[in-house]
Amino acid sequence: MRFKTLLLWDMKFQARYGFYLLYGFLTVFYIVLLLSLPLSWKENAAAILIYSDPAAMGLFFMGAIILLEKSQRVTSFFAVSPLRVIEYVCSKVLSLSVIGMLVATVLAVATNCRSLPLLLLGTFLSSVMFTLLGVIIATKITSLNQFILATVPIEIIAFVPAVLHLFKMTPAFLRIYPANVCMDLIAGRDFSLIGLILTMILIAVLFVVAYKCVGKMWQNQGGVKL
Amino acid sequence: MIKVDHLTFSYSKNPFIQDMSFSVSEGEIFGFLGPSGAGKSTLQKILLGMLPNYQGSAVVNGTECKKHSSDFYESIGVDFEFSTMYEKLTARENLRFFSSLYHRQARSIDELLQMVGLQNDAQKRVSEYSKGMKSRLNFVKALLHDPKLLFLDEPTSGLDPTNSRLMKDMILAEKNRGKTILLTTHNMQDATELCDRVAFIVGGQIFAMDSPHNLIMSRGAASVTYTWYDNGEQTASCLLEQISEDQQLQRLIRENRLQSIHSSEPTLNDIFMEITGRTLV
Repeated sequence: MRFKTLLLWDMKFQARYGFYLLYGFLTVFYIVLLLSLPLSWKENAAAILIYSDPAAMGLFFMGAIILLEKSQRVTSFFAVSPLRVIEYVCSKVLSLSVIGMLVATVLAVATNCRSLPLLLLGTFLSSVMFTLLGVIIATKITSLNQFILATVPIEIIAFVPAVLHLFKMTPAFLRIYPANVCMDLIAGRDFSLIGLILTMILIAVLFVVAYKCVGKMWQNQGGVKL
Repeated sequence: MIKVDHLTFSYSKNPFIQDMSFSVSEGEIFGFLGPSGAGKSTLQKILLGMLPNYQGSAVVNGTECKKHSSDFYESIGVDFEFSTMYEKLTARENLRFFSSLYHRQARSIDELLQMVGLQNDAQKRVSEYSKGMKSRLNFVKALLHDPKLLFLDEPTSGLDPTNSRLMKDMILAEKNRGKTILLTTHNMQDATELCDRVAFIVGGQIFAMDSPHNLIMSRGAASVTYTWYDNGEQTASCLLEQISEDQQLQRLIRENRLQSIHSSEPTLNDIFMEITGRTLV
């Protein structure tokens, strides 16, 4: 019950801070862009757009959200409330995944994607992965500049191989690389089952790390400064 | 309500909290006084279950702090010195959100807002609030779930005299409702006025613990200072308990020559400095 309420509040905060409005505009822009592309480009362009924006938005927005909560000392209060770290992390991950999946669905329908279920699975897995990475980084940094710098290596290892893989420019064994698995799913292509299992394991590991990082952040921030 | 027994805690090899023992009864207002770095924050974190690696025992509401579950916080309210609100949400939205974190939702948000005089500003965003308004809102946020135990940190800090009085009256009203209150303040007037007992903490140790009145009375006798005119204004003092032995004062009274006479007691701050050798800065 508390988790459901928390999730709804998180979505409400995101709406208040303009996330939904922003992605409403971006979705329209992306649709216009995709519809203006030649038919042969459309499929890959849609996959890249979905993977790099709605699916990956958690990486960027989680920094802003957690930094905001830290700056307004809300996390200090969470530390001394019945809210559990697991509820906090799950709510953050799911609330951003909802926006990502909504945008991905609209783009997929507009571009007649190959497989909507696979696309949604790929978007969800990417979104969870990127949001957890965003949570981990955000708990460690104190400014937006630090956050932007810290995300650069992640962007390189998560985006470059996936885009190259989409254009079949990577070795076959890299099909199991989690970023490539997500790209295959979003593009509606055959995907590696071992790769999917590895992606799940990676998400589980990221979840444990995010859980520990948030717990430590609460512990350091919380309590009463006397 | 709180029982701390031989509590020792350390961040490094050297103990930070040293063999501390005290208890706080239900319905009591207990004050922690001490300079920065004295160990108050660490002690509070231990009591809030945030630092489990301690030796000895710290039991709050019947639960050993290091073994608490998330339900532990259902009966604890914390009022931070700083605002812990979402600035872009209204006061009412903030209270609704934070109350949703608790299973117990015993107090009406409207009544709480009315209690601190914010009912007409409930729809304003917190970013538009003054420091005093934020302090009052923070206070009622700690009361949303009607906790048995309240941790208050500098509750009157930044408030004007009227709001400070209002806040102190609300704290006393919560005590009358049966709440146990742990208060930390640098304001000795507040501590004297509000606390049933205070503990002086320096260097991770409790130097003294008693009611403010007993501490003041046990350490420093009240004195009487009087002035009279004799080739310019003259001043003299004597202890209140020896006033009948002051021949000069008696003579001045008989001759109606006193210009002023005042009794004065040492303040809690004087006692703190006398006992600990430190100031509260």
